[in-house]
Amino acid sequence: MTTTIEPGEERIPAPPPRHAARKQDRAPKQNFETWSWYFMRVSGLALVFLALTHFSITHIINDVVETDSVFVAERWDNPLWRLFDWALLALALLHGLNGVRWIIEDYVQSPAKRALTKALVYAVSFTLFAYGTFVIVTFDGGAL
Amino acid sequence: MSSAPTVYKGKSGQWAFISHRVTGFLVFMFLLLHIIDVSLVIIDAELYNEVHELYGNVFLRLFECGLLLALLYHSFNGLRIIAVDFFPGVIKHEKQLTGVVTFFTFALGIPGSIIILWPFIDGTLL
Repeated sequence: MTTTIEPGEERIPAPPPRHAARKQDRAPKQNFETWSWYFMRVSGLALVFLALTHFSITHIINDVVETDSVFVAERWDNPLWRLFDWALLALALLHGLNGVRWIIEDYVQSPAKRALTKALVYAVSFTLFAYGTFVIVTFDGGAL
Repeated sequence: MSSAPTVYKGKSGQWAFISHRVTGFLVFMFLLLHIIDVSLVIIDAELYNEVHELYGNVFLRLFECGLLLALLYHSFNGLRIIAVDFFPGVIKHEKQLTGVVTFFTFALGIPGSIIILWPFIDGTLL
């Protein structure tokens, strides 16, 4: 059986057939970095929607000066918007934190400095995550 | 930074890698600041309003345009990375994909920036 090669296609060699792969190649060990890689893609996909919707609402559909505390109260009157904002907070922070972790691992060479930088970024991120969650959950629009 | 020759030679993938890092880092830094400014709303609503009015001045509006462009670039380039990772065949169209990312960043970013700067453009705000 012959296969026709379209012009321009011959530069990329065909991948080896699947059955040629050795057993260990087919099931690579799943470690933390594998999950971190998947997480960046899945959360990134969600964030394209969440972050761009959020930006459109607060800067394009409404002018930024209209987003005062009354605006927040009206929006957070609906628990689904609180959930939306909390999902954005959680995913953006984790996605950003993991990205910064990769940057630190690339550029901070000394083990002591690297541990210190990571500890600082993790502490700030988790504190702001806890605080942001507290704000979204406890905000009381009626008290304004 | 060392002056040793690098493996890459400044083709689209390397620029995309650097741009993705820079935009991601900047958006993350803004996120940290943004959590703090929004959280003022439960401490003191008046203070929140005062701090928030600052976002309406022209310098911070320009900053918001930069944030929009960074968000759009990081979003579309992220989609490109996902496409290349999960459908390796599309690497054949790498150049066109980079062009699509750049096109959408500016196609949405420029009109968006005009809307953000509008109160300044039409003279409502100086």
